[in-house]
Amino acid sequence: MQEFLQQVISGIATGGIFASLALALVLIYNAMGLVNFAQGEMAMLATFVAFTLIDHGMNYWIALPVTLVIAFAGGIAIQRIVIRPVEHAPILTLVIVTLGLATLVNGLAGFIFGYVPRSFPSPFSVQTVNLLGAYVSYRDLGVIGVSAVVLLAIYLLLQRTTLGLTLRAAAHHPEASRLLGVHVSWMLALGWGLASAAGAVSGIMAAPILLLEPNMMQTIIIYAFAAAVLGGIESPLGAVVGGVIVGVTVNLAGTYLPFVGGDLQLAVALAIIVAVLVLKPNGLFGRPSVRRV
Amino acid sequence: MAALLELTGVSAGYGPTAVLHGISLSVEEGEIVSVLGANGAGKTTTLRAITGGVRWSGNIRFAGRSLGSMHTEDIVRSGIAHVPEGRGILTELTVEENLKLGSHLRRDGAAVRKDYDRIFEYFPVLRERRRLSASTLSGGEQQMLALARALLMRPKLMLLDEPSLGLAPMIVRSIFEIIRTINQVDRVAVLLVEQNARLALEMSSQAYVLEVGRIAMRGESAELQGNESVRRSYLGY
Repeated sequence: MQEFLQQVISGIATGGIFASLALALVLIYNAMGLVNFAQGEMAMLATFVAFTLIDHGMNYWIALPVTLVIAFAGGIAIQRIVIRPVEHAPILTLVIVTLGLATLVNGLAGFIFGYVPRSFPSPFSVQTVNLLGAYVSYRDLGVIGVSAVVLLAIYLLLQRTTLGLTLRAAAHHPEASRLLGVHVSWMLALGWGLASAAGAVSGIMAAPILLLEPNMMQTIIIYAFAAAVLGGIESPLGAVVGGVIVGVTVNLAGTYLPFVGGDLQLAVALAIIVAVLVLKPNGLFGRPSVRRV
Repeated sequence: MAALLELTGVSAGYGPTAVLHGISLSVEEGEIVSVLGANGAGKTTTLRAITGGVRWSGNIRFAGRSLGSMHTEDIVRSGIAHVPEGRGILTELTVEENLKLGSHLRRDGAAVRKDYDRIFEYFPVLRERRRLSASTLSGGEQQMLALARALLMRPKLMLLDEPSLGLAPMIVRSIFEIIRTINQVDRVAVLLVEQNARLALEMSSQAYVLEVGRIAMRGESAELQGNESVRRSYLGY
């Protein structure tokens, strides 16, 4: 029981990392009906930015918000420079553009920072604390806390502010929104900025565990896909719930299913994707898409 | 005095297909003008040209400004509320959120609250349903929502695309009653596109008849009501 509880809490922490990146995917999916395959790489680059800031002596708790602002601005810049010119192109073109972007960002990070894995500082110690009989590391609790704060902030922005309302409106009904005076194009850029910042949180939380190098996010993005699909690719809340479920499931499967262990965890994520697509294609929180023909 | 809205020699179309062939039309401040015509005559395209939803050539001026180089968002912000074909309801959002999108650009808080009171007085059902998803509303209720939202934008001009479409006659009556009230109380000019010619002519002071992208006739609405060929083609008696 104690071990089970430990694994669940540790799974929730991993889930927070998946959830942040899954939320980033969902935000962009809503804005352009497309999964951004470069999301993980953008998060990795932002993590290198944080690394550089901390390496130059900046306090972690200052470097974190500064990095989020830089990631936000970077996301907007990418939308304006790379995505906007092909906005109305067929979906396949957009897929290729984001795949190209992923390769480009990955190569760029490798060129600047090299491929040697670096240890990334965490403000939370790996010492454990006794929580209801389970030994939980401060690092896991810290990851849960930071993810929760960021996800809550994004939720409140989307659901409780006028800006969030216009953002959602622009994403779902661009034409109708224009007729209500919403600057749709800028809202889409803002969506990219938000997604980029959410992804950066994921990267910064993952780096102390995985070690920082240009390919760091390539497995995380698979888990994030699984989380987003499980939650219903259009639902921000679904992405968060999906992230936690995937995190816990993968962790428990790794612990209790001998044949899964540490090596087949990614297969569990892929199995979740396949199972959801077969059994409940709209995910837990997705609406069935009904189209008049 | 210059007209509030003035279209001069406007042509428009979708890709290579021209829909409008040089139409001219004007709306004075506070006036209701109706545009009649059969399906495909270019009524919707006329409205879409005004708010920049379709490529056009010619000249469109609103409140003394040329709309030629302006984006839809900025045209709308300059004082035109366009209730499009299909009503433009954001079905993913709640009724209240739809209304908020009508008032989100306004900074006159007290007046906005008064306007909310007014629209809930006109359409009590919107107050009851304000927390529900707009997708749960009936066609008539969605039309009410679209009209209420347009009112909240405090426009100088409303473009209404077939407000009667698909609605029961009684609901149509009450909706047109409120359009008339808005016009009289707020001095909002209305450019009304309608298939229901009888209703449109009753409402408006001026009317245009569109036939395959050209203005076939224009005049006082009362005059057109008495016109033999209009009666036969559009009023059906």
